Amino acid sequence: MDAFEKKTLKARFPSWLVTPESLLIGLSMAFWFIMGKLDHSFLQWEVQRELSTHIWETALMALPMTLIILTGGIDLSIGSIMSLSAVTAGLLHQAGWPMPMGCLAAMVVGMACGWFNGWFITRFKVHPLMITLASMAAFRGIAEGVSQARPLSGFPESFTRMGNDAWLGLPIAGWIFAGSLAMAAWIMHAHRLGRCIHAIGYNEQAARFSGLRVDRMLLGLYTLSGLSAAMAAIMFMARRNTAKADIGAGVELGVITAVVMGGVSIFGGRGTLAGVCLGLFLIHETREFVSWHWSRDELNLLALGVLLILSVVFQQLLGHKQAS
Amino acid sequence: MNPSGSNPNVQQAWFSLLKSRTAGLACFTTLILVWMSLWNPTFLAWSNMRDIAVSAAPVCIISCGLMLVLVLGEIDISVGSMMGVLAAAMGAMASASRWHLPPGVAMIGTLILGVFIGAINGWLVAYLKVPSIMVTLGMLTALRGVTEVIMGGQWITDLPPELRSLGTGTWLGIPICLWVTAAVVLISLWLIHRSTLGRRIYAIGSHPKAARLAGLPIARTQCLVFAWTGFLTAVATLVSVPQLSVVDAGIGVGMELLVVTCVVVGGTAVSGGIGNLSGVLLGALLMTMISTVLIFMKLGENATYWSRAIQGLFILGAILLEPWTRSRKKP
Amino acid sequence: MSLLVAQQIYHSYGGTQALCDVSLEIEPGEWHALCGENGAGKSTLIKIISGVEPPDQGNVTLEGNPLPMGRVDAVEQAGVVAVHQEPVVFPHLSTIDNVFVGRELGRLGGLWLDRDSMARGARQVMHQLGENLPLEQPVGELSLAQRQMVSIARALLNDCRILILDEPTASLSARETQSLFRAIKQLQTQGVGILYVSHRLEEIFQMADRVTVLRDGCMVGTHSIASIQRSDLIQMMVGRPLDASSAARPLPREEQAPTLLEVQGLSRAGVFDNIDFAIQSGEILGLSGLVGAGRTEIARAIFGLDPIDTGSIILDGQPMPEGFQIHDAMDRGMALVPEDRQRQGLILPESVEDNLTLPSLKAFSKLLGLDRDSRGKAAHGLIQRMGIKTAKPSSPAQSLSGGNQQKIVLGKWVYRQPRLFLLDEPTRGVDVGAKEEVHRMIRTLARSGSAILLISSDMPEILQLSDRILVLCQGRIRGEVTGSQATAEQLLEWALPPERPDAA
Repeated sequence: MDAFEKKTLKARFPSWLVTPESLLIGLSMAFWFIMGKLDHSFLQWEVQRELSTHIWETALMALPMTLIILTGGIDLSIGSIMSLSAVTAGLLHQAGWPMPMGCLAAMVVGMACGWFNGWFITRFKVHPLMITLASMAAFRGIAEGVSQARPLSGFPESFTRMGNDAWLGLPIAGWIFAGSLAMAAWIMHAHRLGRCIHAIGYNEQAARFSGLRVDRMLLGLYTLSGLSAAMAAIMFMARRNTAKADIGAGVELGVITAVVMGGVSIFGGRGTLAGVCLGLFLIHETREFVSWHWSRDELNLLALGVLLILSVVFQQLLGHKQAS
Repeated sequence: MNPSGSNPNVQQAWFSLLKSRTAGLACFTTLILVWMSLWNPTFLAWSNMRDIAVSAAPVCIISCGLMLVLVLGEIDISVGSMMGVLAAAMGAMASASRWHLPPGVAMIGTLILGVFIGAINGWLVAYLKVPSIMVTLGMLTALRGVTEVIMGGQWITDLPPELRSLGTGTWLGIPICLWVTAAVVLISLWLIHRSTLGRRIYAIGSHPKAARLAGLPIARTQCLVFAWTGFLTAVATLVSVPQLSVVDAGIGVGMELLVVTCVVVGGTAVSGGIGNLSGVLLGALLMTMISTVLIFMKLGENATYWSRAIQGLFILGAILLEPWTRSRKKP
Repeated sequence: MSLLVAQQIYHSYGGTQALCDVSLEIEPGEWHALCGENGAGKSTLIKIISGVEPPDQGNVTLEGNPLPMGRVDAVEQAGVVAVHQEPVVFPHLSTIDNVFVGRELGRLGGLWLDRDSMARGARQVMHQLGENLPLEQPVGELSLAQRQMVSIARALLNDCRILILDEPTASLSARETQSLFRAIKQLQTQGVGILYVSHRLEEIFQMADRVTVLRDGCMVGTHSIASIQRSDLIQMMVGRPLDASSAARPLPREEQAPTLLEVQGLSRAGVFDNIDFAIQSGEILGLSGLVGAGRTEIARAIFGLDPIDTGSIILDGQPMPEGFQIHDAMDRGMALVPEDRQRQGLILPESVEDNLTLPSLKAFSKLLGLDRDSRGKAAHGLIQRMGIKTAKPSSPAQSLSGGNQQKIVLGKWVYRQPRLFLLDEPTRGVDVGAKEEVHRMIRTLARSGSAILLISSDMPEILQLSDRILVLCQGRIRGEVTGSQATAEQLLEWALPPERPDAA
């Protein structure tokens, strides 16, 4: 171990204890214990289910974001892709298109936006941070311009019922997430793509030297991210019966915070989906508890920002080395 | 054989392409001015020009700081939320219905707060080695939350007249905010061209490894640059927010993107080491002109909804032009 | 009293001894040359003296005072400045700024830079060097030679007592070289000691006072230039005592094996020019030459990593398509073991098993995902076959020794049974035992029919293994010899840059 590692926590505790996942489990248990003590009614199943209705969109988008951050990239534009997809579906519905077609169009738009990101990253070698920062503005701008920032609503009941119905106790949105989680888990643990993603994140050059089709994979991941944003938009519209150009604003922060809190290294390579699920869970529970118990929504944002910074600082202390 | 040799003529051509970025921007801006004046002569009226300059003022001021952050090779997307929290703090301090402190105290307090927040950003980046995107992304949200906590869902409408005059007052016929902008620009010029700190910022951004070998104080420089940006954000808040009739929790939203766009469009390289002030100022002027242009062209009120899209396209274009300059970087 | 004294320097990199009991003395005003082939330890010694790294053992004193080891800025402050082959400059800053970075002239303690004095100072030192550079242009725009001058100017301005130059004339024209020498000679008259690393032996004989030769990290000796000849110098650089291993040369090959790889007219501007060779199935072709001669670049071009300007690459009688990529090369049966094991060859945080099976993941993929069993079995088999010493297959690659890491890089390609193996410095930084095993593996691969291109700076290795050896010099093939007839001296002689036709 070199001098830097000796200074980190890694040196002082057994290695399995110091993984982000086990720390998250510990934190979750601690949280539940504290919350239970402070306000027992919070822990009831009905309350939890009620409060969870809006988490599914963030959770869904967190899945491809995890894969992207694992490769050492980032996607700041998912909120804006969400907006643009929603506006597309809303406008098409207003123009008389049947809802399923509108949703399909929204998904196509989402994938196109994601593909656009991926193409610029791989073809022009622009850093994902800068390109998605720019496309974040561009996509939302297009959404605002096309919809003139007006809200669109009046979606058919069959559609909105899907957003609020539950099946076997879980909202339909929750099932969509569960299905996507299963697929993501399959990709990461069973399919060879999972090994490739970790390899690219740890050392992209060596991955290329081993013959991995890095550009193709990255293009696919960013397209997938765009698709997930579109699906999140559809889920939102179904739940709230409205589509507006600002529905995605700020969403990327919650997603990235969940992923980073879940132990995924911001430099890429290291991280698990299980950790991200725990991260999502922790953030969600904290925020909901804060609103429930203290009824102050404003603290949400503060907590979220602080959580992100603390997670990254914690990662540094744990000794996540910078990718060369 | 000369494995790392390069054709000097090709490099020279690409360099002049960048140097002409400022010239290109100046031409473009002039073109727009000319075209607009043909379209609607009142565009060039003193009152309109003054309004454009006044709304460009806070953007220019913050851009001076953010440019140095980018030259250093970092990024700061928290300036918008910083502005929000500083506006809220300023309002809370000065307003008669809140803490009701003397306006001078409120001003100094705002400036100190700006430096403090900037310094926290700098400390996290320089000493804890957290990537600046993560720090400032977290700050962006956290500070917005603090803003909402301070404002408590209400608006502040009773700023004292001394503060108001910062925003709306004039001196020798020119609005105070423009004087302040000029002062900030002069200080920035000194910083870039005549101070040791300025040389070191460019050196570190140009070749971090060489800077380390040469023993330059990298962490201290990073901290200072972020703190300076915080200070400038406070200055921008002081001269722009009092112009508004209300202070609410939504001030500054989207400002960070506008400033980054101005800085990048103005020719500052995202990879670090390159940046010139005149390009940045022209960029700021250009970007703030866009919304006015859209209004004047009478494309209908719908047209203003496209300003963010145009912003996004500008920054995309500027970023894509950058690979032309990136070839210079020889680590 | 000597100006600079380096005493008993020992240094190792992860298990291999880079320097072993090296001592050096430089007198005031002396031009002291440092010679040795690739990997002899010259760069390591330079790094230690100039403060880039502290040595494991030993010390360096300047005028009797010990130098602060491991800190470049402190060592520079003390008066020892190094100018590297790839000049470390700030490409976006002007010449004046580059020369004065960290030591800016100013009034009011740095609050107001005195640009005029700095410009004057820069102009003065440039004049001293006989150079006429544009002072305000960003240095990245200047040619390599000019950038080197900026680096030297910075050193000069620092009032140095010892100037270290690491192959400064490799990319300079004769005229630029002469102005550099003029400037250096002037420094000599001021009592500055010069430590000069170069492969241009004629320069050393022209300008140097004494020369120290390193070989395999050890001192061979220090001699005054007047007392030796060029052939003596070459002998010192590569001559090794005869021993059993050097007798184990490959026998001359039969000519009937089919040609596997044919390279015709391969060129890339500024890198390599008109490269022609062929490798038969089962043949080991050694590619020798100095660092920077273009060997790695040729291998990379054959593998599809870098583009080429002209020429063709023909594998098994079929030419490779234009603009082909790595996966095309892999599908056709090529493999490349890169030079930089840690950065290009391995994913250090991942397990041995992951690293070994990474290029072959497709082979283990079934409909429902990866077949873990067959993957694990394949990895296990490779670990046995290559003799990789690891606690378990799931240990991270970074926990293994250099030799074992190299076996992983080799092993992951061996699994694919490639027809053409491109090996770039396969035993660099590898201990003796592992080296032997790798050599055995290379011979086995050749015997089973693969064609092997062996790039190596290790003379004994290339002499022992190669059926034929090509020597590259400045991007061109300078000579070819069969393995049984090759000598180290001949190889080095061909590798050294030719004397300049227009030298003064």
